[in-house]
Amino acid sequence: MPNGYNGKILHVDLSKRSWSVEEPEEKWYRTYMGGSNFISYYLLKNLKPGTDALSPENILIFACSVVTGAPLSGFNRYTVGAKSPLTGAFAETEAGGYWAPELKFAGFDAVVIRGRAAKPVYLWIHDGNVEIRDAAGVWGLDNFQTLERLKDELQDKRIRVASIGPAGERLVLYACVQNDMEHYNGRTGMGAVMGSKNLKAIAVRGTSKMKMADPEKVKEIARWHNERIKTHPPNVGLSKVGTTGLLKGINDGGFLPTRNFKDGVFEGADKISAPAYHETIFHSSSTCYACAVRCKRRVALKHEKYPLDERFGGAEFEALAALGSLIANDNLPAVARGNQLCNLLGLDVISAGAVVAFAMECFENGILTEKDTGGRTLKFGDPDAMLWLIEEIAGRRGIGDVLALGVKRAAQKIGRGAEQYAFHIKGQELGFHDGRGKTGMAMGFALSPTGADHIETPHDVAFQGDGVSKLFPMGLFDPVDPLKTDPAKMRFFFIGQKAWGINNVLNLCNFVSVPIHAMTFGRLVEAVNAITGWDVSLYELVNASERSNVMARVFNNREGFTPKDDTLISRWFEEMPSGPLKGKRIDPEIFRDLVQLYYDMSGWDAQGRPTRGKLVELGLYWLLEN
Amino acid sequence: MDVEIRLFESLKKHQPEGGKVRLAAGSRVNDLLDALGISMDDVGILIINQSDGRFDQLLRNDDVVTLIPPIGGG
Repeated sequence: MPNGYNGKILHVDLSKRSWSVEEPEEKWYRTYMGGSNFISYYLLKNLKPGTDALSPENILIFACSVVTGAPLSGFNRYTVGAKSPLTGAFAETEAGGYWAPELKFAGFDAVVIRGRAAKPVYLWIHDGNVEIRDAAGVWGLDNFQTLERLKDELQDKRIRVASIGPAGERLVLYACVQNDMEHYNGRTGMGAVMGSKNLKAIAVRGTSKMKMADPEKVKEIARWHNERIKTHPPNVGLSKVGTTGLLKGINDGGFLPTRNFKDGVFEGADKISAPAYHETIFHSSSTCYACAVRCKRRVALKHEKYPLDERFGGAEFEALAALGSLIANDNLPAVARGNQLCNLLGLDVISAGAVVAFAMECFENGILTEKDTGGRTLKFGDPDAMLWLIEEIAGRRGIGDVLALGVKRAAQKIGRGAEQYAFHIKGQELGFHDGRGKTGMAMGFALSPTGADHIETPHDVAFQGDGVSKLFPMGLFDPVDPLKTDPAKMRFFFIGQKAWGINNVLNLCNFVSVPIHAMTFGRLVEAVNAITGWDVSLYELVNASERSNVMARVFNNREGFTPKDDTLISRWFEEMPSGPLKGKRIDPEIFRDLVQLYYDMSGWDAQGRPTRGKLVELGLYWLLEN
Repeated sequence: MDVEIRLFESLKKHQPEGGKVRLAAGSRVNDLLDALGISMDDVGILIINQSDGRFDQLLRNDDVVTLIPPIGGG
C-alpha cells in the first residue's frame, strides 16, 4: 500500500446504481497530488464540452489529496468540483472538517459520480464498501435533520456526512454542499449538481489508519506547527476570534463592500464586528480534524425573532459582510440568523447575500416593485426582508424563484436595466473585499477560473513593507502596495496565486499554511515527503499548482470563455464615493493590459489559451489536441 | 533600546514620531504593543527584521518591527 494515499478512486454511476474502483499508478498521484487537479483531470478527460451542468452527464467529484488526513493542522480538507451550473465554467470549492480524513480512512482518495439516480439516494461509504441507499426518508429535510436522521438510520454516531439542503434539491444555482453543519463547500453551486443527480448525501465511515512513510517525522512537524500556531500572529487572532476579526480592519481600510458594492465603509460595522459578536452571540469555538487553530465559531441566542442554535454554525467574516454591510444591516442576531438559515437550507451565504443586495438595490430604484414581490418592500437595512428572501429563494417561491438563478441570470430575466446592479464575474457573485483597496485581490477575482473568488491569491495587504518576507521563498522581494495596478503588482499576483494553488492541490487550509500562516514553505515540503515517502521539491509543488490553473483554463476555453470574461465589476472602475479610499478607482485600460501581461507571464496566448509549450512543460501532453 | 516601527493600514494612526520607540532592555513585542496602544487582536501580521515574529519575542536594539492588521483571508 502506498504512503499517504490509498491508491483507490471510487467511481459511482447513479443511473446504473453501480460502482467500481480505479487504481491509478503512483506517477499519476505525484503529478496531480489531489483536490483541484483530480477534478480538472476527470472533467477534461470525460466531460463533453457544452454539457448542461444540471444534466446526468455532468461529473461530480469529491477529491482529497495525497496528504489529506495526516495528523497535521489544516491537512483535513477536500474539494468538490464539476462543471458549475452558476457559471458554466470549471468549479471547485473546498471545505474542512472531518469528512475528508474519514473518506481516506474508509479507503478512497476521491469519489467520481456520474449519472442521475431514478429517485433520491444517498451514498454510504464504509471501509471499502459502497451502498447506494434510498434517501426518501431524508429528501426535503434540512441539513441538520439529515445529519441526525442518517446517524440514526446507519446506527453510527461517528459517521461523517456531506449533504445538501432543500436549496440543493430545488436546484438553486448557488446551493452549497456541507458537512457536519459547520463546514461548507460554499461556492459555484455544487449543491445544485448534487440535487440534479438526486444525491442527497454522502455518509462516510472508515476505521483504517493512514499509512505514512515517516510517522515520527510527521509527529515532529505537527508539534512544531501546533506550537507555532499558538504564537504566530495571524493564527493567534484566528484562534481568538476566527475570521470575524477581519471586519474591523477591512472597514477601517475603507474596502468593506457596503450597499451592494457601492461603498467601502459601513457606518454600522462596529455593531457586527468581533467585539460585539463575542459579547452578544458567541457560544463556543470549534475546529477541524487535528487542527490546533480552532477558528470556527458557534453562536447561540434566545431571541424571539432571531433565535440562534449552537448546532447550526456561526457566521464568519464573509457571512457578516454578506448579510450585514452589503445590505446595510447592523442587526447582528439577524445576520447570524440569516447565516443559520443558509446553513440549514443549503445556500452559499456569499452568493445569497449578494443576491439579496442586488434585489434590494433593484427595488430601491424601482426595477423591482411590490408587484414582483407580492407586496413585500425590499430596502437596504431591513433584516426581515433579508430573512424572508432567503426562505423564498430556497423554496423557489415567487421572486425567490428568479433570484435562485444568481444575479447574472436573475438580472437577465428581470430586465428593465437590472443588469447595472448585478455584480458578478463569470456569473459568480463576489466575496466581500473591494478590489479598489486590494488590487491584487481584484486580479484574483478576474482571473480565477471559477469566477469571482476571494481566495484565489493571498491578499496583497499582508505583504506591505517587510510583510513581503513571507514570499521570499517564492522569489518576491519588493514590498507590495495594495493600491497599485502595475506590472510589479501583477508579478505579485502571479506568484501569490501559485503559492495558494499549492494549498488547493494538497487540500490544505489557507489558515495554517503558506504563505501567510504558521506553516513555512520548507517545512511543508518536508511534511509532504514524510507523509508520502517521495522526495518532492518546492518546484514540484509549484508545478502541481500551476497545472491546476492551466487545466481549469483549458476547460473554460473549451466551454467558450474568452479574455472578455477576465474582468471586474463596473463599480470598481468608478471612484470610491467615500471613506479612506475616496476617489480611488481601477483604470479599466490599465487593468486589461495587466491581464494580457498575465497571459504572457503564464505562457498563454493573447486569447488566454495555454500554449503548446506550456502544456508540454507541465507534462500535459494529453491536452495538446484541445 | 530603540526599536524601529513600521505600521500599515488602520494601524498607521499609532505611528510614533520619528518612527522609533524607546523601550527598556528585556522588553518583548507585547510591551511594544502596550507602548503604542495597539491591541494584540488588531495585529494580523508581525514581522521582525524581515522574519516572522512572535508576540512574546524579546526585542533587541535596532530591531525593525512591522505590524499589519488582519484584513485578508477567506
